[in-house]
Amino acid sequence: MNIENLQQLTQFQIDEQPHIIVNKEICKTCDHRACVQSCPANCYTWDEETKLLSIVYETCLECGTCYIICDKGALDWSYPRGGYGVCFRLT
Amino acid sequence: MAKYYDVIIVGAGPAGSLAALKLARAGLNVCLVERGKYPGAKNMFGGLLHNTPVLNEMLPDFWERAPLERHVYKKVLAFMTPESAVSLTFENENFEQPPYNGHTVFRPAFDSWLASEAVREGALLLTDCTAEDLVRKDGRIAGVTVKGREGKLRSNIVIAADGVLSFMAEKAGLRKEFKAKVIGVGIKLLLGLPEDTINERFHLVRDEGADISFVGTTANMRGGGFLYTNRESISVGMVVHLDSLKASGKAPYDVLDELLLHPQVRKLIKGAVPLEYSAHLIPEGGIKAMPRVYTDGMMVAGDAAGLCYTNGINLEGINLAMTSGVLAAETAIKALEVGDYTARTLSLYKKKLDESFIIKDMKTFKNAAGMMHLERLFQTYPQVLAGIMEKLYRVEGVPRSKLLRLARKEALKEVGLKGLVSDGIKIGRALL
Repeated sequence: MNIENLQQLTQFQIDEQPHIIVNKEICKTCDHRACVQSCPANCYTWDEETKLLSIVYETCLECGTCYIICDKGALDWSYPRGGYGVCFRLT
Repeated sequence: MAKYYDVIIVGAGPAGSLAALKLARAGLNVCLVERGKYPGAKNMFGGLLHNTPVLNEMLPDFWERAPLERHVYKKVLAFMTPESAVSLTFENENFEQPPYNGHTVFRPAFDSWLASEAVREGALLLTDCTAEDLVRKDGRIAGVTVKGREGKLRSNIVIAADGVLSFMAEKAGLRKEFKAKVIGVGIKLLLGLPEDTINERFHLVRDEGADISFVGTTANMRGGGFLYTNRESISVGMVVHLDSLKASGKAPYDVLDELLLHPQVRKLIKGAVPLEYSAHLIPEGGIKAMPRVYTDGMMVAGDAAGLCYTNGINLEGINLAMTSGVLAAETAIKALEVGDYTARTLSLYKKKLDESFIIKDMKTFKNAAGMMHLERLFQTYPQVLAGIMEKLYRVEGVPRSKLLRLARKEALKEVGLKGLVSDGIKIGRALL
């Protein structure tokens, strides 16, 4: 199972307003960027060339892993507005 | 949307909905605020709804009406190495009749049903509402603001049942700082399989279900794997502590993949169709990581209050959540009777928690959270065990040792005497 296929199994109601905002300046100096590997939904990508961390909030499972493991204060993290975001059907 | 309620409950999960049911039955004006499109839309767990006396008491025929999958009849604890599995299986006819010891459920279905029971008794359910902040009045908490459907909701009492991350408890100043070493992340893949195939593969009949815990399948991380049977699907996943996930540098879904590819697991899930992928955090810090559970105008219940514990054998949360929801509701009823919503009256909630099995169990296993940080438990010991079993069974024309000598040799080889003694003390303090 690769992660791209996994995400397609789960339903999302996408908000145009992101619920996680990354302070990219802080991420440039981060010594671990553990969010990239640890996110269960593979939402974070680090681009070595541009030195930018990017996030795809649209497929976020709202678990909070990044919120807990980011110890640099780079994330402005909240739940999406009511009705938006991940929408589990079965689990 | 500017309404006044006796009680606002944030989160229509098991704690919130059962609290709402209790309050609605007492004739109170209760509003249940849920951020999902429906209750359960944001909720995920491994899969087992434990037997919960307060649920049986409040909804005596619940197992006939609730959307349940299978009752758990078979419990398996499996120690795994990449090539072997040493399992302990417990099957029990006493788990065959009501009140069953536990059922596998789908949270969107079960949580929606439980909330609908509260609505039927008069609770107001507002879905699509994310609680954003607390409303304060006269120095106490007196409501919440919501986003999604925008507005301010006022009440005499707020019950925060908003889950493990509880932003309500944080805003009320009750929460302790989260530590990555006591928070677990669970990820799960739901796999579709025909009912008959599940029954044959797991040796089950009718509604019988199996619950398998795997130790040794989380690479170099502290955690475990799980497998639960539903009627026409199986839930396979794993839980790992966030600090060890971070340190491992691995992606959680890659580790889950290894579990799915394990020779013994592969046979069980052969031909299954992936249906849904989900993730959620678990408060695993035990009693030492609990926040304060009440303040002026507010009580905290369920995962939000850190009411969850594991000792390696039991992993309980949903039953603690529902029980705490009812205890918070009982306290709210009392507070409304006397017309005092301050911490002084709401402290009754903490007293009720302390007297219930919730805090008693969390105290009994207060050292278990520490035991769950023994790195060797998750890789070395399964290897030792598998090594002993292999030597025990392998026939190759070499003189045998007696059992104790064989076990001692294997254990000393992998762990050393000092390690064995120190681990033994920790495990002993946690479980014995």
